[in-house]
Amino acid sequence: MTIQLLINGISLGSVYALIAVGFALVFNILKFSNFAHGGLMTVTAYIGYVASLFLRNYISDLPLFVATLVAAALGGGVLGLILERVAFRRLRDSNSSVIYYFISSITMGILMENFITIFASSNFYSYPPFLPSAALHFANLSVAIPDLLMLCFSAGALGILLFVLYRTKIGLAIRTTSFDVNTARLMGMDPNAVVATTFFAAGVLGGISGVFLGINYTLYPQLGQLIVKGFVASVIGGLGSISGALIGAVLLGVVEIFLIGLVGAGWAPVFIFVIMLVFLLLRPRGISGVVVQEKA
Amino acid sequence: MEYLASTLTFTGISLIGVLGAYLVTGLTGLFSFGQAAFLAVGAYVSAILFKNFGLPLPVAAVAAMITGLIAGVIVGVPTVRLRRDYISLVTFGFGEAIIAVLNNSTSITGGATGLSGVPQYTTFPLVLVSVLVCLAIVISYKNSKYGRQCLALRSDELAARSMGINVERLKLMTFLMASVMTSFAGVLFVFYTTYVEPGAFGWVVSAEWTIIVFVGGINSLTGAVVATVLLTGLPEFLRFASEWRIAIYCIIVLLILNFRPSGMFGQYEISLRSIKQLFGKGA
Repeated sequence: MTIQLLINGISLGSVYALIAVGFALVFNILKFSNFAHGGLMTVTAYIGYVASLFLRNYISDLPLFVATLVAAALGGGVLGLILERVAFRRLRDSNSSVIYYFISSITMGILMENFITIFASSNFYSYPPFLPSAALHFANLSVAIPDLLMLCFSAGALGILLFVLYRTKIGLAIRTTSFDVNTARLMGMDPNAVVATTFFAAGVLGGISGVFLGINYTLYPQLGQLIVKGFVASVIGGLGSISGALIGAVLLGVVEIFLIGLVGAGWAPVFIFVIMLVFLLLRPRGISGVVVQEKA
Repeated sequence: MEYLASTLTFTGISLIGVLGAYLVTGLTGLFSFGQAAFLAVGAYVSAILFKNFGLPLPVAAVAAMITGLIAGVIVGVPTVRLRRDYISLVTFGFGEAIIAVLNNSTSITGGATGLSGVPQYTTFPLVLVSVLVCLAIVISYKNSKYGRQCLALRSDELAARSMGINVERLKLMTFLMASVMTSFAGVLFVFYTTYVEPGAFGWVVSAEWTIIVFVGGINSLTGAVVATVLLTGLPEFLRFASEWRIAIYCIIVLLILNFRPSGMFGQYEISLRSIKQLFGKGA
C-alpha cells in the first residue's frame, strides 16, 4: 500500500517537476517569479486538444499522444517567445525594476486565461482517450499505464533539458547570462537571444505539462492555476535552482498523495500550505540552499 | 437610483480593498495574492459570529478584524525576512488554503454553496464614511515617518537598512495594516450582499486590486482612487462585453507598463496646493 502510494506520488511529482523547472528556468535568468507560466500552460493544453482533434482522423493511440505532446510543446515554445517579446523585452531595455516584470507576468497570465474563457467558453473538455486505461501489475502493485507514460515523458523531457543546460554551448550561454548579464555581453553573447531561448525552453516544458494536466484534470480555463504546485515545489527546493525544483516537485507529489490518502483531497491544500510555511520558517533557502539576491 | 447606490457601494468596498493593496504594493513594493482571502476571512468570521453565535454586529466586526490580524501575522512573520517573491508565493498559497478551508468545513461555512441569510446592514453612507476613514488612515500613514521609510525600503532595501530602518518590522506592520483593513472591507461586503461563497475570493481578485494600483500609478494614492472608480465603477454602468472586461484591463496594464511605467498619475497627488498650482498655471 505504501509503495503503491509512493509510485503514484512520484508519477504526480514528475508532472509538478515539469512545471517547477519551467518556472525555475525563467526565474534563474531574469530573477523574478513568472506568473505567466500558468496562463501559458492553459493555452498549450487547449492547443494540444485542438491538435488531437485534427490528428485523430489519421493516427491513434501512442502516435496520437506523442503528436499531441509535440504540437503542444511547439505551441508553448512559440508562445514563450511571443510572451518574452510582448511582456518583457521593453522592460529589459529600459532596465525596469523587478516589480514591473512581476506585474507584467501576472497580467499576461490573466490575459491568456481570459482569452481561453472568451474563445473556448468555460466549459470542460476532455482529451480523446488515446492512452489505454489498463494498468500493469507487479506482485500486488498496480501502475496505471497513463501515469507510467507521463513519468517516462516527463523524465525524458527533463533529461533533454538538463543535457542542453549542462553539456551544450547554448546551455552554457544560459547559465552565464543567469549569472551575470553584463559579463555575458562582454563575452560576445547576445542577451536577447539567450533570454528568448530560455523562454522557448520554458514554453516547451510548459506545453508538455499543460497536456499532462489536461489529461489528469480535464480542460478548463483555470487549469493553469495549478502552477501554484510548481511554486510550492520551487520554494521547497530553493527558488531558481533547477535540481532543487526537481527534488521539491517529487517530494511535493509524494507528500500530496499521502495527504490525500490521510485527510482527503479537499484538505490537502491547507496542509501543503502549512508545510510550506514551516519550511520557510526553518529553512528559507530551500533544500538546495542557494541564496538568490534581489536583482539591483 | 437603487442601482446607482449599489454600484457605488460595491465600488466603495473595492476601494477599501485597493487601499489595502496600495499599502502593500505601493508603499512597500510587496505583492500579495491573498488580499481577497482577508476579505473572505472578514466576511465569514463576522457573518458566522453574528448569525450562529448571536454576537452584536460591532463585536463581530471587531472579532473579524482581529482574526484578519492573526492571519496576517501567520502569513507575514515567516515571509517578511525573505525575498519579495516569497510573500507573493505564500499569500497565493494562503488564498488557496483559505478557500479550501471554507469549501470543506461545510457544517460551519456552508461549503461551496456558500453562506446565506445574512441580514443587510451595510448602507451607502456607512460605506462612504468607512472609505473616508480608511483613506484618511492611508494618507496620514503615507505622509508619516513610517510612510517615508516604506518608500525608502521599496526603492532600495539595503540602503534603507543601512540608514537604520527596521525593514522587517516595517514590512510586517504595513502588511498587517492592510490585512485588518481588508478584513473590515469583508465585513462591509457580507452585510451588504447577504450572501458569500468561497469562489468569490480567488487570487484573481487580489491580482485585480494590485493591477488597479499599477494603472493609477504606484506612487500616487490619487491614482489608485481614480483608477478604482474608473475600472470597477464604470464597467458596471457600461456593461457592454462584460467578458472582455478583464482582457481590456490587462491590455491597458501592459500598455502602461511598457510605455508609461509610472502609471496614469505618476507622482501626482491631489491636494490644496496642487489645485492652486493648476489654476495658477492656467491663469
